[in-house]
Amino acid sequence: MSGPVLSIRNLTVKVPIDGETRTLIDAVSLDLARGEILGLVGESGSGKSMICRALVKLLPSPAIAITGGSILLEGRELTAFDEDAMRAVRGVEIGMIFQNPTSHLDPVMRIGDQIAEGIRYHQGLGRDQARLAAVDILGQVGFPHPERQYDSYPHEFSGGMRQRAMIAVALSCNPKILIADEPTTALDVTIQAQILRLLMDLRDKRGLSIILITHDLGIVAQTCDSIAVLRNGQLLEHGPKRRVLADPQHAYTVSLLESHPSTPQEGGSRAIAKVAPQSLARPLLEVDDLVVRFPTPGLGLFSGKKKPVAAVNGVSLRIMPGETVGIVGESGSGKSTLARAILGLTPLTSGHVSFEGSELAQNRRHTLAKLRTEAAMVFQDPYNALNPRLTIGAMLAEVLTVQGNTPLARIPARIGELLDLVELDHAFLNRRPRSMSGGQCQRAGIARALAVNPKLIIADECVAALDVTIQAQIIDLFRDLKTRMNLTLLFISHDLAIVRNLCDRVVVMYRGEIVEEGRCGAVFDSPSHAYTAALISAIPDIDPDKPLPKGDLPPLSEPKAVPDLRGQPLISMHYQQREQRS
Amino acid sequence: MTSGATATRMNVPWSRFLGRHMTWTIGAGILGLFLAVALAAPLVAPYDPIYQDATVRLAMPSFAHPFGTDNFGRDILSRVIWGTRIDLQIAVIGVVFPFLIGTFIGTVAGFFGGIVDTVFMRLVDIILAFPFLVLMLSIIAILGPGLSSFYIAMALVGWVSYARLIRAQMLVLKSSDYAVAAVSLGFSRARIMFRHLLPNAVAGSIVFSMSDAVLVLLNGAAISYLGLGVQPPVAEWGVMVAEGQSFITSAWWITLFPGLSIIVLAFGFSLLGDGLGEWLGVNE
Repeated sequence: MSGPVLSIRNLTVKVPIDGETRTLIDAVSLDLARGEILGLVGESGSGKSMICRALVKLLPSPAIAITGGSILLEGRELTAFDEDAMRAVRGVEIGMIFQNPTSHLDPVMRIGDQIAEGIRYHQGLGRDQARLAAVDILGQVGFPHPERQYDSYPHEFSGGMRQRAMIAVALSCNPKILIADEPTTALDVTIQAQILRLLMDLRDKRGLSIILITHDLGIVAQTCDSIAVLRNGQLLEHGPKRRVLADPQHAYTVSLLESHPSTPQEGGSRAIAKVAPQSLARPLLEVDDLVVRFPTPGLGLFSGKKKPVAAVNGVSLRIMPGETVGIVGESGSGKSTLARAILGLTPLTSGHVSFEGSELAQNRRHTLAKLRTEAAMVFQDPYNALNPRLTIGAMLAEVLTVQGNTPLARIPARIGELLDLVELDHAFLNRRPRSMSGGQCQRAGIARALAVNPKLIIADECVAALDVTIQAQIIDLFRDLKTRMNLTLLFISHDLAIVRNLCDRVVVMYRGEIVEEGRCGAVFDSPSHAYTAALISAIPDIDPDKPLPKGDLPPLSEPKAVPDLRGQPLISMHYQQREQRS
Repeated sequence: MTSGATATRMNVPWSRFLGRHMTWTIGAGILGLFLAVALAAPLVAPYDPIYQDATVRLAMPSFAHPFGTDNFGRDILSRVIWGTRIDLQIAVIGVVFPFLIGTFIGTVAGFFGGIVDTVFMRLVDIILAFPFLVLMLSIIAILGPGLSSFYIAMALVGWVSYARLIRAQMLVLKSSDYAVAAVSLGFSRARIMFRHLLPNAVAGSIVFSMSDAVLVLLNGAAISYLGLGVQPPVAEWGVMVAEGQSFITSAWWITLFPGLSIIVLAFGFSLLGDGLGEWLGVNE
C-alpha cells in the first residue's frame, strides 16, 4: 500500500470565549490510507465533527480557528490553502454526507440536477453529458430506476433513498475521500444496514477512503478498518479495529464498549429471572382489536374518494402489573400512535382500551380521569417535551398541585424526593431546559412522569435522541425505578438492542399490526416472523466477525418489500397510495 | 453562541452590558425621555401651548422661541412638549386594546380549532377585506369625532393582526410534546392554553406591537389630519403637521419639529422592539 491519502499531524483548533481560549481539538494526529474506512467515535461534543469540518475548513464560526498542526492531502498542505484553493478541494477531493439528508438536499431542485450541478461545475461537462453521468451515479448508489428518478424531488423519497441521493451528490465529483457524519443515525436499522453496505461497496469499487463519524460502536465494528476514539477534543485511542475492540487501551474506550447495548452478556438472563410471578393477576392494561385511522392529507384528486390511513390496525395487547414490555418497529409502524391511543391522546376509530378494568371507549370520562392520574408518558425529544419557560422546580410543583394528591406544604419535599429518584442535583430546581443537557432534560421528564405516582409509564423512544453513554444511564435509571417502585413500563423503541436489554416481553409492530410477540429472549433468538428476523439481523453487532446480513434483506429497494407478510391488505393499500402520488 | 466580536471586546462590565443590550437600552432611553417630557410638560414648556401671541406670528426659531412659532403665534416647542402627552397616549392605548383582544381570540381560535377557529378567522377575513382607513373612518363617523372614538375603532379593527400571529404560533405549539404531556398529566384546557402555550407564543406579538405602536401613531396623526381625531386647538403632532402644511415653503419649522418628534419616537419604539425580540429569543 502506498502512503496515506490524508495525514493529519497535531491538528489543534481553538476558540476564544469570554476572554479565555478553549481548545476544541487538541493536537490530534491521524492517517487515512487509500481505501481505508476510519471510524471516528465519541460522544456529542467530543470534537469528531469538528475535525472533519477543519479538514475542509468549513468551521462553524469565524472565531474558531486552526491554530496549529498540519493537514496533508496527498502531500499538499491544506492549512496553507486560501478560500479559492479550498473550493477546488471541497467536493472534488473531499466529499461530505450528513446526518439529516432532508435538510441538506435542496427541496425545490430535482435530485438528478443536484448531482449534475456538481459534475458540470467541477468537471465542466455539458448538460447532456452531465445528465448521463448523474444517471450512472444514481444507479450506482442503488436507485432502481435512475433514468426516471432523475426528475424526482427530494420529498418524493423516503429517508433512506434521500441518504442515497446525498451520497450520490457527494460522489458526483469523484472524490478521493468521503466524510460521512452520522450518516445513518436518523434511519431505521434495516435501512441503516443497506446504507452501510452501500458505503462498503463504493469503497471496494472506487477505492474511496471514508471517514465515518458515529456514536454507534456496532457500526464501527461492522464497517471500519480502524477506529479513533475521541473525547473532549483529544484522541484517546487509535488503531486497527480488531485490536481496539478486543484489547482497548484506554479506560474510556472500555466504558464505551460496555455501554453498547448489543453487548451480549447481560440483559436476557437478568430480565427472564424476574418475569414469572402474578400470571393470574388481572392485566393492568388491555388493548383489544384497536384501530386508529387518520384521514389522508391533501385532496384525493385521483382516487375519487379519500382513503383513511390506518396507523394502528387491529392491535391486541395485554400488560400485567409490574411487567416491562417493549414495542419495536421501524418509523411509521404505528408504535407512537398506539401509545397515544392508549393514553387517550388520540381518538380511537374502533376497538377497546381498558386500564385497570375501566374501558376507555364506553366510560371515557372516568377512564380518562384514571389514566391522567395513574399513567404518564416520557417523550422522545427531551427539549421539546418540557415547557421552555418553566424552571424544573416550577414544572414539578405544578404537576403536584394539579394532581392534588400531595398536601401543599409537602410539595417542596416531594420535589426533592423526585429529583433524588431520577438522580438530578437539587441545583436543577431553578434551571430551565435550555441550560441543561439532553440527558438532564430527560431525567427531568422522567421526574415529571413519576410526579403523578403512576402505575404505568409509557416511554416513547425516550433515549433515541441521546448519546450512547447517556442512553445507558437512562436505561439503568429505568431498570432501577422499575424494581424500586414496582412500575409497569411500556417501552417503545426502534433500537432492538435496548429493548432486549431492558424488557421482559417484546411486541414487534409492522405497518400498524403486531407481527410477533413473546418473551424477549425467545423472540430475539428464534424469531418466527420474517420481518422480525430481518430487523434483528440488521443490527450492527459489536463483534466484527458477525457481519451484516447479505441475503435476508431486499437488496436495494425499500423495506416495504420484505417478503412473505401477513399484512397483505395494508401493503397493497400502501402501494395504491404510491401509485396515486406518482 | 458567543461570537468573536464579544470575545475581543474590553472586559469592562458596563461596556459589555451596553454591547449586549445596545438596541434595547437606546430604545428604552428614548421612550423614557419622551415619557419624562410628557409628565413634566407644565414644568418644561416655556409657554401655554394654545396661547396666541399676534406679535410673533410665523417667527423663525430664535432664543425666545427655539422651535419658532406658527401662524397664530403659538410657540412650537411648547406645543410639541404638550403634544407628547397625547401622542404617547395614542401609541400606548391604541396598541394595548388590540393586543389584548387579538391575543385572546388568537389563543382560543388556535387552541380549539374547528368551528371556533373558522368563525373567528372568517371574521378576520371580513375585517381585512375592507381598506383599513376606510373602516376606521366609518366607525369614527358613526361614533362621532374624538380620541375615544379613535381608540374604540382601533380596538375593533387592529386586533386582527395579533389574532393571526398568535393563532399561527398556537397551531405549532399545541402539537408540541409539552402540550401533549400537559394533557396527559390531566391539566385543564385553560391552564394549558394560558399558562403553558401562551407565554411561549406571545413573544412575536410583543415585538410586533412595538412596530405597531409606530403605525398607530401615524394613524392617529392621519385621523387627526382628516379632522376626526384630536380637535384643534389641542396640540397633537399630527394636527400640527397638518396645520403647518400650507406654510411648508415659507415656515418649514411648523411641520419639521412635530414631524421629527414622530420619527424619533417611532425610532425608539422600533429599537425597543428589536431589543425585546432578542431578549425574548424570538429569532431562535
